[in-house]
Amino acid sequence: MTHVGSLTRAQLGECLAGPGIHLRTGRFTTLLRSPIASVADGIHRLYGDYPLSSGFADFHLDLVRPATLRRWLRPQVTLLYDRRSMFKPLPLDQAFPMFEWGLNWCVSSRANRYLIIHAAVVEKNGRAVILPAPPGSGKSTLCAALVGRGGWRLLSDELALLRLEEGVLHPLPRPISLKNASIAVIRDYVPGSVMSRAVTDTAKGTVAHMRAPADSVARAGESALPAWVVFPRFEAGSAATAEPVARADTFMQLAQNCFNYSLLGAEGFTALAGLVERSRGYRFRYSKLDDALAFFDSLP
Amino acid sequence: MASSWRLVPGQALLHRGWDGAYVLYNDLSGDTHLLAEEAMSLLMALRDGDVTPEELAAPELADMLATLRQLDLVEPC
Repeated sequence: MTHVGSLTRAQLGECLAGPGIHLRTGRFTTLLRSPIASVADGIHRLYGDYPLSSGFADFHLDLVRPATLRRWLRPQVTLLYDRRSMFKPLPLDQAFPMFEWGLNWCVSSRANRYLIIHAAVVEKNGRAVILPAPPGSGKSTLCAALVGRGGWRLLSDELALLRLEEGVLHPLPRPISLKNASIAVIRDYVPGSVMSRAVTDTAKGTVAHMRAPADSVARAGESALPAWVVFPRFEAGSAATAEPVARADTFMQLAQNCFNYSLLGAEGFTALAGLVERSRGYRFRYSKLDDALAFFDSLP
Repeated sequence: MASSWRLVPGQALLHRGWDGAYVLYNDLSGDTHLLAEEAMSLLMALRDGDVTPEELAAPELADMLATLRQLDLVEPC
C-alpha cells in the first residue's frame, strides 16, 4: 500500500486538484479533493506516514473556493460533504484547519458504531488514558507532550472511539490541534516536532497542527483497553495534584463530553458503564509539563 | 401527596452503582440520572412490589417521591 509520503508535493497537489486522494486515518477513509495549495501543503507536511487506498471511502470531502463576488475582495474556502455545502465559508487562509475540523465533524456525527467522547486518548502497554476536554483544560497540550516526549502512543487528540460491543478504544491518530500559546510551548518542549503553518484569526484564535508520531500512525489498527480517565486542568503556578473521582461522577462527566450518548440510548449507557467499571478516574491539576508526565507514568 | 405509587410503565431500571452512588438510564426520556443509594433502593422496591402503601405515605419519603416523579421515573396510582 502506498503512503502519502510516496508522492512529491507536486504530485500530491495534482492528485488533490484532480481525482483526489483516498486518505486512510485509522478505520476511516476519506476521499479528499482540493485545488487549494495550502491544503496540499498541510497534507504533505503532516500526513506523509498515512496510507493511501482506493475504492470505497467513508467520507467525501471537497475544499473549494466559492465562486461568489467576495472572491475578489476576501477569498474564502467552503467545505463540501458529499458535494453539498453544509458549513459557513471561512477565510481562504483557514483551508487546512477547516479540513481537520471537517473530518472531526464527519467522524463525530457519522460513526455511530462507536460511543464517541470529546477526549484525547493515549496508551502505554495496552492500557489507555482518556483525557476529556472541557474548555481550557489544556488537553491537547498535554496530549502533545505525552506522545511527543512521554513515550505514550497517540490514539487520538480529539475523539475517543469506544467500540460498543467490545468496549475497546479504537485509534484515530491524526494531527494534534494546538492553539495560541500552546503552539510555542510544544515547539519548545517536543524536540523535532513538525507543525503546520500557524493560522491566525480563526474562531479558536491562532491554530497549528502537530504531526502525529509515525509509530502511532503505523499502529492505527491496534486497539487498547481503557484503564484511566483523567480530567486535566492547567492552572498557572499550581503544583501537580491528582484527586480520585468517584465512578458515578466519572460516568456523568464523560456522558456530558460524548457526541452521541443520547443517540445511542441504552446501548451508550451500557458501553460507558463498562468503560467506567474498568477505569480509575482522577481530577488532575498541573502547571508544568514535566510534572504532568511524571504523574502519568505513576498511574497505578 | 398520593399514598400509592408505581414505576412509570416502560422503565427497565437499567443502572450501575459504585460506592453508594448510582447512574440510571431513563428509558422514556433518554436522560441519565445520578441517584443516591436510598432513591435507587426505593425504585427497586417499587418494581418488586416490596414496599407497602403505609411506607409510601410516610412524610419522610415525600420529597424523594416528588423528585423521582419530576424525573418521570414514578407516578401516583
